[in-house]
Amino acid sequence: MTEPILKLEQATIRFGGLVAVNEVSFSVAKGRLFGLIGPNGAGKTTCFNLITGVYAPTSGQILFQGRSLGGTKPHRIAHAGIARTFQNIRLFGALSAVENVMLGAFLRHRSSLAGALAFMPSNIKESAELRERSLHLLEVLGLADFANHRSRDLPYGKQRRLEIARAMATQPTMLLLDEPAAGMNPQESVDLQDTVRRIRDEFDMTVLLIEHDMKFVMNLCEEIVVLDHGEVIAHGGPSDIRSNPKVIEAYLGEAV
Amino acid sequence: MSVVPPSIMDHAPQVAKNFWPVRLASIVGAVAFAAILDQLVKSAGSGLLAERMVTLAALYVTLSVSLNLVNGITGQFSIGHAAFFQVGAYAAAIFSMQRSPAGVDPNLWILGSSILGGLAAGLAGLLVGLPSLRLRGDYLAIVTLGFGEIIRNFANTQAWVGGAYGTNVAPKQASVGLAILLAIVSIAVCRNLLRTAHGLPFLSIREDEVAASAMGVNSTFYKVTAFVLASVLAGAAGGIFAHTEGFISPRSFGMDLSFMILTMVVLGGSGSITGSAVVAVVLFYLPEALRDAPALRGPVVISAIVMLIALTASVKRMDNFHGGERKRQWLVGLVPAIGGSVVLGLLLSFVPDLAKTNFEADRLRMVIFSLALIIAMLLRPQGIFAHHEFSWDWLRSRLKRRTA
Amino acid sequence: MGFEVLGLWAAVDVSTLPQQFANGLVTGSIYALVALGYTMVYGVLRLINFAHGEVFMLGMFAALFASWWLGFGPNMIAGAQGNPLILIAMLTFAMLVSGLIGVGIERFAYRPMRNQSRIASLITAIGVSLLIQHGGALFLPVSPPPSIREDVNPYRSNVTWQILPKDGGLLEKVKLAQINADRATTALNDQMKAEGVNSEFDLSPASQPLRQEKSTQDRALRDAQQAADQSGVNVTLSQGKVILMLTTLFLMIALRFLVMNTPIGRQMRAVAHDFDSASLMGVNVNKVVLFTFFVGSALAGAGGMMAATFQGDAMTTFSGLQYGVKGFIAAVLGGIGNIPGAVVGGILLGVSEVGVTAFGMSEYKDIIAFVILILVLLFRPGGILGSAKVEKV
Repeated sequence: MTEPILKLEQATIRFGGLVAVNEVSFSVAKGRLFGLIGPNGAGKTTCFNLITGVYAPTSGQILFQGRSLGGTKPHRIAHAGIARTFQNIRLFGALSAVENVMLGAFLRHRSSLAGALAFMPSNIKESAELRERSLHLLEVLGLADFANHRSRDLPYGKQRRLEIARAMATQPTMLLLDEPAAGMNPQESVDLQDTVRRIRDEFDMTVLLIEHDMKFVMNLCEEIVVLDHGEVIAHGGPSDIRSNPKVIEAYLGEAV
Repeated sequence: MSVVPPSIMDHAPQVAKNFWPVRLASIVGAVAFAAILDQLVKSAGSGLLAERMVTLAALYVTLSVSLNLVNGITGQFSIGHAAFFQVGAYAAAIFSMQRSPAGVDPNLWILGSSILGGLAAGLAGLLVGLPSLRLRGDYLAIVTLGFGEIIRNFANTQAWVGGAYGTNVAPKQASVGLAILLAIVSIAVCRNLLRTAHGLPFLSIREDEVAASAMGVNSTFYKVTAFVLASVLAGAAGGIFAHTEGFISPRSFGMDLSFMILTMVVLGGSGSITGSAVVAVVLFYLPEALRDAPALRGPVVISAIVMLIALTASVKRMDNFHGGERKRQWLVGLVPAIGGSVVLGLLLSFVPDLAKTNFEADRLRMVIFSLALIIAMLLRPQGIFAHHEFSWDWLRSRLKRRTA
Repeated sequence: MGFEVLGLWAAVDVSTLPQQFANGLVTGSIYALVALGYTMVYGVLRLINFAHGEVFMLGMFAALFASWWLGFGPNMIAGAQGNPLILIAMLTFAMLVSGLIGVGIERFAYRPMRNQSRIASLITAIGVSLLIQHGGALFLPVSPPPSIREDVNPYRSNVTWQILPKDGGLLEKVKLAQINADRATTALNDQMKAEGVNSEFDLSPASQPLRQEKSTQDRALRDAQQAADQSGVNVTLSQGKVILMLTTLFLMIALRFLVMNTPIGRQMRAVAHDFDSASLMGVNVNKVVLFTFFVGSALAGAGGMMAATFQGDAMTTFSGLQYGVKGFIAAVLGGIGNIPGAVVGGILLGVSEVGVTAFGMSEYKDIIAFVILILVLLFRPGGILGSAKVEKV
């Protein structure tokens, strides 16, 4: 096993009396396609919010590449190399698709704000470069034809893909996808699996994803953690998870 | 699903081969334009009034375009912009009190005042922005309004700057050229920002702050930057304003001025620089132009108001049911509205007291202003220019279509 | 800074603080009535109704007209006395007029904007506010600014509550001083009679000391009186202001009953909690919003009537501005959208304004409202009784 890139050590968060995530520990190896599943309200998205700094853990640690993330602001975490998508799509609706991706790519900008106000050549050049790179990413995700469409107007599945493109544009080492296949039809879902695999291989990213579509997770992920009521109830490969009685119990009635 | 012209970079800007010559030429052009307009207005012969009007209009453009940077582009709901205008004006006044402007070229002096005003207002913007930009939406609006009122009322209590009465500012001169140059600079700064990738973090905060920070945007930094930049521009305008009027008092910087600037931004279309600038000029001149309008009889006023309301309501109603086809709706709405209001006017002219009442234009102008505002918002809530910007390409395509 | 504050304390006559507090309660209850309208409307629509101050102002005018129609017009011959029935009629009329105007504003200016951006609604609200201010000036009697005749209000005498009794020793001194002063006055009067003059200034030089003596004794009496007064703590208010506070209290209890214990109140709370869900659950949202506007505006109208009647405020079409701003601040202070909060905020604001005046800093009276507002918002963004909503990610 390679070195872990992300490590949760008994991460816990309480909202008032509610323990949303309770002493969750797992580690994600570099280059893994890692799944995080569990019934509704199990604390999956809260886990993402802890990792990306939306919330600070009440106790416990989150280590990214050996450094603790506890209490770091979300934009710093993005700079450290973690990018995410959102369960309830959060695109910049009035901006075009390519502008959305460019904002992601802007994270690695070098030119100065003062230069931008004066419209200096270095800023113009950089803007053009960012645009080129963003157009390329749109192509990877099959959105090249929609570059100049307002992102609010895109169909649902394309919006999900656009969110992935935007996250990738920040050139992260780790990509967190929150229900990337939600609302997609079976064909789109299958295409997305290929895309995610391709992202991991070509762009050398570690992927941590939340998904409700079991087929999607079982086909795609190499390692899976199951959460229920804020606690880890199972951890292993797809086949282990499928036969784990605790998991079956948690999903009572749902086909696993 | 349509291809919309995106808000920025519809054509990825390229660095032209002759970049620096073009840049130099545009700067010289802008200065020359301001200087020529300055001379034109001064030699127009209509006296000081015209100079003052053109200067104030240019200052309003600056105020509106700069507030648009905060409200329209960065999406932060600030409604106390007059405060920074005031800080700039008072900085200029204090400067003139401390150092005698006698013997200095007035244009140079006012330029200095304007820069000083901008710096002072920028500092004030930083002080106000740092704590308050943690708040969002309505709460931010309330706090900016509160800070604005505190600054204004504070000047009221300070006898050394004239207290509530106000203070004279020397030299008194309407600097048409400087004001226009400042307006050009404001527009250029905002436009440049939106044409490079550096505009994106501002826009992304407006669209979704949470998503923006997850993408690495330091939202506090950009919000405060927008706020300070807008304050600097408003303060610079304030410096010129103080010298244009030659006299300032806290009364000139009330909540109504803040609301006026805000209205210019929203009516122009939040985020549209073009809209902010154009509507600023129109809204500034509208009440002034109405000052000289003839007095109207009571029945005429009432039936005109009723007609406008009926017209708006019918257009709005048809919008809700059918949508589209505005032109026909106006016609369908116009006929009963005009007919009804003529009948109403005739009936009202039999009311003896009313028929004798005359309403002077001065009392009517704010009524017309507010009615126009309400109707404009009802019929076009996204603002007149919505999110569109003026561009030469657009003009060219329009002209082509016209000639073809 | 610390020493300055101590110095200020020294300048404050502590025995007047309860009186100041009572004055603050009077102002505060009017603010609270205005704040309730802001809060209710914000609660259901998330809209800051900038025209609310104007509704208050129209309530003042409605009360004025009602008083005119009931026989207290500008040309009335002095001598008639008002009675409670007239006051109740004025209050009802003002509430009705304000309520209906609020409903009209909602129906024709705000409802069409409901699906638009908040800032667009806000601009419309500003437009409505300007229209009422300037349009009203065309039709309403504003020059000179009229005010409601004093004699419509039969409750003009003062009531005094003794909180701490006056010092017995000082009261004795007052009695003594009174005897001395009386004696000096009698002596002077006798002398004047003897010399046959009508004015004490026409006395012969020989009698001058008598006059001196009288003024010395009078001064001594005045000082003793003042010392004795300050030794006790009293609160004096006109009956009208007491009625104002009691009416406010009654209206607030009625409002609370309305919101908590009636079907329409339950619907209001449902709409405030979640507009869309409420409409899906079969609540007639439009009806509820109109009703909310009616109630909120009627409360402002009541405030306007009472400010005009019991405080005798002169009115112009811009009179609502100040009360509107203060009521709005009060609403935010207490936590906008929160009904008890509006009351708390109004009282707090009224008391602190009077407090600032008591500290001899009356020129800062208008600043203090905003300073408190900003401090509260920065440290407790949801207001005193409110809670700021955390956005779900």
